[in-house]
Amino acid sequence: MVSESGRSTKTVVLVGNPNVGKSVIFRLLTGNYVLVSNFPGTTVEVSRGKLQLNGASYEVIDTPGVNSLVPQSEDERVTCEILLKEKPDLIIQVADAKNLRRTLLITSQLAEFGIPMILVLNMIDEAEERGIEIDSKRIAELFSISVVETVAIYSRGRRQLLNAIQAPSCPRNPLRESGAGSRLIESLDGIGAPALLSIEWMAEGNGDLAQAIISSLSPEASSKLGNWIGSYSNGRRNPAREVAEIRSRLLDTSVASFKKKRKSRFTEEGSWSRKILLWLLAGGTLLFLWNEAGGLFNIRTPFEVVSRAVSGRLDRLLTDAGLGGGILQSVLLGKNDGGRYEYGIIPEVIHFLLLIAPVIIPLGMLISRSRTFVYELGILTRRALTGIPILIGVLLLLYEFVGYTGAQTLVALFEDILFGEYVVPLVRSILPAGFISELLAGEYGLISMGLTYAIGIVLPVVGTFFIAFSLLEDSGYLPRLSILSDRLMRIMGLNGKAVLPMVLGFGCGTMATMSTRILSSKRERLIAILLLALGIPCSAQLGVMLGIAAGFSQKATLTVIGVVASQLVLVGFISSRLIGGRPSEFIFEIPPIRRPQFKNVALKTWYRLQWYLKEAVPLFLLGTLVLFVLDALHFNGLSFLKWFERGVAPIISGLLDLPSEAAGIFLLGFLRRDYGAAGLYDLARNGLLNGQQVVVSMVVITLFVPCLASFLMIIKEQGLKRALAIAGFIVPFALLVGYVLNLVLRTFNIQFT
Amino acid sequence: MVDRISEEIAEVLEAVWTLEEEDTATIRNVADNAPVEVSKDLIARLSSEGLIMVDEQEHVHLLPKGRLLAEKIIRRHRLAERLICDVLGARVEDSEAAACEYEHVLAEGITNSICTLLGHPRFCPHNKPIPEGDCCRSARDEVEPIVVSCDQLRVGESARVAYFSAREHSRLLKLSALGISPGITIKLIQKWPAYVVQCEETEIALEPEVAHNIYVWRTPAE
Repeated sequence: MVSESGRSTKTVVLVGNPNVGKSVIFRLLTGNYVLVSNFPGTTVEVSRGKLQLNGASYEVIDTPGVNSLVPQSEDERVTCEILLKEKPDLIIQVADAKNLRRTLLITSQLAEFGIPMILVLNMIDEAEERGIEIDSKRIAELFSISVVETVAIYSRGRRQLLNAIQAPSCPRNPLRESGAGSRLIESLDGIGAPALLSIEWMAEGNGDLAQAIISSLSPEASSKLGNWIGSYSNGRRNPAREVAEIRSRLLDTSVASFKKKRKSRFTEEGSWSRKILLWLLAGGTLLFLWNEAGGLFNIRTPFEVVSRAVSGRLDRLLTDAGLGGGILQSVLLGKNDGGRYEYGIIPEVIHFLLLIAPVIIPLGMLISRSRTFVYELGILTRRALTGIPILIGVLLLLYEFVGYTGAQTLVALFEDILFGEYVVPLVRSILPAGFISELLAGEYGLISMGLTYAIGIVLPVVGTFFIAFSLLEDSGYLPRLSILSDRLMRIMGLNGKAVLPMVLGFGCGTMATMSTRILSSKRERLIAILLLALGIPCSAQLGVMLGIAAGFSQKATLTVIGVVASQLVLVGFISSRLIGGRPSEFIFEIPPIRRPQFKNVALKTWYRLQWYLKEAVPLFLLGTLVLFVLDALHFNGLSFLKWFERGVAPIISGLLDLPSEAAGIFLLGFLRRDYGAAGLYDLARNGLLNGQQVVVSMVVITLFVPCLASFLMIIKEQGLKRALAIAGFIVPFALLVGYVLNLVLRTFNIQFT
Repeated sequence: MVDRISEEIAEVLEAVWTLEEEDTATIRNVADNAPVEVSKDLIARLSSEGLIMVDEQEHVHLLPKGRLLAEKIIRRHRLAERLICDVLGARVEDSEAAACEYEHVLAEGITNSICTLLGHPRFCPHNKPIPEGDCCRSARDEVEPIVVSCDQLRVGESARVAYFSAREHSRLLKLSALGISPGITIKLIQKWPAYVVQCEETEIALEPEVAHNIYVWRTPAE
């Protein structure tokens, strides 16, 4: 393939192993932001951006990571297809400098295309730290390409890369020499195409890719290669195996001569600041655990003591100044529950200072300062004995941040105060009573219900979750979770890799459904999507439910979690047996722990929030509108909503023993799960649900249909038929579980107070 | 005719050995487990040849001469199973039938070569012990590198990859794309909850089954 010259815009394709920083290089070149993570396989969609360089314009294409150009997964195929279809003018191979062999495997495959090429050895700093020295000059000579060393996240090496882009050179293919004497190589002499690669494609069931190569050649070359592949594929010896052997010989010799390993520099430090920080972290963790244990065992905790003292004093000061009972008081101090102040700015600051900060700050400082610590943390987090306690700690921290700061304090500030005290009363006071006022601020008003739920309840929860998730993702912690959970996932017919979509599902089911693309088999994608739709509550819903549960004993929360989790495992177990097949094998690269980049986390959170505002808020409004219409239209003296409630009442009241208002809530639950949960929250707060009903309704709404947005995403990923089948299974199943649970709770008279 | 008898005898001896491992070698069980018809005649002939002995509780015991013979048969059988499973990549269930054929045709010398090729394995795919041969004993004395499955390495131990016994070719490609291929040195750094090996500077998590099917040359301790 010869590059097509004469085009005004040149095409540049970024190719490389997963998790080597292609997306960061993409950003460096184009200024376009793509979500990057410290997790292999984050880029599932192909991004394109523009680069202007000394008057020349380039289109840069970022591709999903590949471990080899002989594709093993769908995203690897995507990359191969881009290389064939886009006919790029320049290939930039981005590589992790630490792993030279894997890098050169791809280099040797790319070199066959004969397209001008640059090799970027990224993360050269990590390689240096580990005592790895790479002779990039000799690599450049071997392939006759430019080799640039970079640390992309710090923009190190950017200028050299830009220079190289302006003067790229065509690679030569050292395989032809290293395979000299082989009949295979000799017989391919004179064919300029990626001939060896097409042999491997042919042998590994990617005949269409090989065909694309053959058809792009000149007639003689094409018939020569075609005949050759034909005759070989009838032969006894697998030619792909011979190609692989030649490649591996080349890699062995070049890695041996280009890479030198010295002693790593990890051991050189042992400074005082590190020791002090470690003690601080230990102290902070103890303080955190003390505070956590307080709720469980009724111990007085530092948080409570300080919060009472500070808030109490401030409360008296405010009252003395004549500001008692006002908005200022509830914003600053929140609710006063028998001397305990909660959900105000002051208690929240104390919450942060006494719970979250003592752990997070020394941890963050250690991660950014001590390489040894980062290295050891990487080991501790993947071992069962230390990893599981760390996981529990991470989950508790996540709860304190998302479940408390987000779902309690911020929701109180946004929903109760901003919407409840200001926005809704304001709208009501401006508008004359009538249709418009009802539409905007009535019982099912677009503002009083739609926006209040979307902005007041859900936004703070998803916002805090997205911050926490981005931090976890960039730190490289999530892949370690895959190791810890592999065995459990296996019961459900999945493997450890599926933990990412599952965890992401606790943020947003729609996004998680999309991310199931990283799973390697169709059957796993189907099971993961089913489980996501069935029983993984998204953060919004989770936050609201935690709010409801806070009013009841912890037994209620544990029962809900227990029932839902057991159903997940059960359904996973049964469905994987019904679908057949085995979990695909778990062979998974674990990236090192890295310090999350503040800017990246912030941008990522912002992009995700934008996505939420664009995708979800309109659905909230639409949902409210549907309810409003159903409520406003009357038939035979009753509104449609009442008719609907009456219609499903036998199910809701008869099977589940819930008040008939719950019918409307389950309907809402389809529009947004969290929306439904929020309705439940209202019911519970108004005292319409007892403990048993809360537990049953929370289980049902968790298991119930996915929200409209994720249902649409399921259709997109799996097709309408399967999406309907999934919904057709989930709805009766959720009701059945609710029914059985209700029966059990009533029969054994289990109470939740 | 001679061959036929020796094959019958071989099958009975094999059955007795296997049942003895479980301590259930009664005449009844031997008759049920041997793939040939075990008549009273046959038992009597084995007893008269000094191969086995039957006690009052109808338990069958191998006598030294019989034990020696049985050991060789079992060794051939179980080595053949390993060969078929590990190198040819057949399923464990399928290896059984083929191994039965092998055990009658393998010569002593070839058996030892197979044993060496496989790295003197100590257990068959069904996890039953493989009796040692001369080659195993001398290998141990000379501390030559032996091939073991990756999951038998100690944590922290490095070894060179010998071969994979993967049923699916795709796994082979996946491993080699991550840098694990024959000839490469890997280091086992964790066994639980999943296996983790280090290859170059990459850490790779493997499920137990995958780790088990990577065979490595264990380098002798220095």
